[in-house]
Amino acid sequence: MAGRKEIMNQDTPPSEAQWMLHRRDFVKGAALTGAALIGGALAMAQNTITPPANPAGASSPTPVAPSDQQPVPTKKAGNTGLTLSAMGIGGFHLGTASSQDVATQIVHGALDAGINFFDNAWEYHEGESENRLGNALKGRRDQAIVMTKVCTHGRGKDVAMRMLEESLSRLQTNYLDVWQIHEVIYYNDPDLIFSPGGAAEALLEAKKQGKVRFIGFTGHKDPAIHLRMLSHNFPFDTVQMPLNCFDATFRSFETQVLPEANRRQLAVFGMKSLGGSGEMVTRGAITPEEGLRYAMSLPVATTISGIDTLNVLKQNLEILRDFKPMTDSEMADLRDRCRSLAGDGHLERFKTSLFYDGDLGREQHGFPSSKEVPL
Amino acid sequence: MRSFGGKSDVKISALGLGGHHLGDAPDEDTAIRICHEAIDGGITFFDNCWEYNRGKSENWMGKGLKGKRDQVFLMTKVCTHGRDAALATQMLEQSLRRLQTDHLDLWQIHGVSFDNDPELFIRPNGAAEALLKAKDQGKVRFLGFTGHKAPHIHLAMLETGFPFDAVQMPLNAFDATFRSFEREVLPKLSQRGIAALGMKPLTGKGEPLKKGLITPDQMLRYAMSLPVTTTITGIDKLDVLHQDLKIAQGFKPMSPQEMEDLRKQCSKLAADGRFEHYKVSLQFDNPEAREAHHFPIDPNQMEVKEMLLETVNTGSPWPDVKKS
Repeated sequence: MAGRKEIMNQDTPPSEAQWMLHRRDFVKGAALTGAALIGGALAMAQNTITPPANPAGASSPTPVAPSDQQPVPTKKAGNTGLTLSAMGIGGFHLGTASSQDVATQIVHGALDAGINFFDNAWEYHEGESENRLGNALKGRRDQAIVMTKVCTHGRGKDVAMRMLEESLSRLQTNYLDVWQIHEVIYYNDPDLIFSPGGAAEALLEAKKQGKVRFIGFTGHKDPAIHLRMLSHNFPFDTVQMPLNCFDATFRSFETQVLPEANRRQLAVFGMKSLGGSGEMVTRGAITPEEGLRYAMSLPVATTISGIDTLNVLKQNLEILRDFKPMTDSEMADLRDRCRSLAGDGHLERFKTSLFYDGDLGREQHGFPSSKEVPL
Repeated sequence: MRSFGGKSDVKISALGLGGHHLGDAPDEDTAIRICHEAIDGGITFFDNCWEYNRGKSENWMGKGLKGKRDQVFLMTKVCTHGRDAALATQMLEQSLRRLQTDHLDLWQIHGVSFDNDPELFIRPNGAAEALLKAKDQGKVRFLGFTGHKAPHIHLAMLETGFPFDAVQMPLNAFDATFRSFEREVLPKLSQRGIAALGMKPLTGKGEPLKKGLITPDQMLRYAMSLPVTTTITGIDKLDVLHQDLKIAQGFKPMSPQEMEDLRKQCSKLAADGRFEHYKVSLQFDNPEAREAHHFPIDPNQMEVKEMLLETVNTGSPWPDVKKS
């Protein structure tokens, strides 16, 4: 029985409260000295990645980091002409941060360091995430590439256009750089989005009106749904998906969707590099460095990372500044190390549970709340 | 009666008797009566599994088949869950004893549910070797595998190149639009002449029926109208047997149009998979399979509690089988 008890104690799935608790503190305890590692980022001469001190695209709107800062690596974003910092700031966690003040410090700290990509969604924290980002970007809107998402969840163009106006007003801006359809995670979503009067029409309309520069979609559930979205040959500019070292061997976006997105020259935004809430780190499977480095080494435009404390920002900035892409064999080794743990998807709960599926989306599909269906 | 895949000399009934539910019958006598009446009603395909109800399902079926073994096509499954060939062989001997027979018609790998199962199955000293040996020794006639989780895992099993005779999978009108075995796996089997065995024709727990969204007749007819060798359905009571026999005996295949209409009717309900728990939920994974893979298990889950209760005196979660 000893063996069994050990299993029960170590591997009992934590309650949701425990997960929430854990996700706040997956900063690596040691080695958080402020001294930047000079030279690390400059040494990278990968074809897709350039230090911003000499931005590849002359037309790039990317701000150059202040000269006293070590630069962060940047990447070209598909066919958009944008140059993005290799890491972007996740919008959900801005709403999780303890206050507007902390959120503002995160956004300013990120901008000052040279991070220029900011993610958000109409439904994050019922608008609070967009409000906080809007407040934080006051006077600095031009330095940021702002993305937010529309939450029609199967509803049509009119709903989408109303949400766009709300997002613009919360974000205190008159245009978005990127507008994406949020949470495409149900098997009938592509049909609903592309039905006459569906959300796809809103994307085109908003682009035509000059309110958004680029359009795309996002989802965390199944590569098959992403592929079905792409199969419509709609003029998407961007696509967002979970990309991490576990994904590679479990219902993999990396092997099934990423090559197709690259083939179409879309700007790819990677997300959930540490499992969505740092699960892969808190369970001791990988370090934050390994997870973020793996994700950033993939052929993506940026890796969106949720940051809700200044500590996590500091950690991530250090990883970002020090970033050297993994070699192919380093990546293969990490995939292999994670392979047996990845086999049931318990560390990629956005694929295997309802925990990451919004209730608004479920409601719009006529599905009961995730609390009533504890899958 | 239908041909067993490409083997037209082997005929089995279009409806199969599920072994799990047999062990859920109120008592042994009822289980034996279900076996007898099923045979009398024309059912020849009997499903079972080494781990169903901790051996009770095989034991009761063994008793129900006494003197009637030759009238049925008997299948059971081995529960290595990634472990090695020696364990599989031990389980086979135990299944044969419980089922009171010296051979199986079909022996299948049970519960291929995890993305790394195919590679664990085919590795040197993996369960694949035990399957081939048992067939060589004449202890089993045909080999197969089963799983309820994801079509791509089934496809990866087929990609191993192992000479499977049969493959079992969930097939129902909900499956058709959600991570679909019907669309992704079934055509491959037909191409290769592998016998397709359908299961979960009522979505496992029959939830859409309980909610009144669809009738058992529609669901069972849909599943049986697919190009499968048999549709295995769980029967734990005599009246369920009588109901199913009635549907099977009066069975007329649905027209392609009827099937399309039913798929459409179910497609909106199917899009989040909540009626197909076996595909979407880690909570419905077999805890012993999870433990064999060293994946965390939920101590509050009923199945885990039962498992612990059963094994508290032996110290082994797999009674009577030495850990390899």
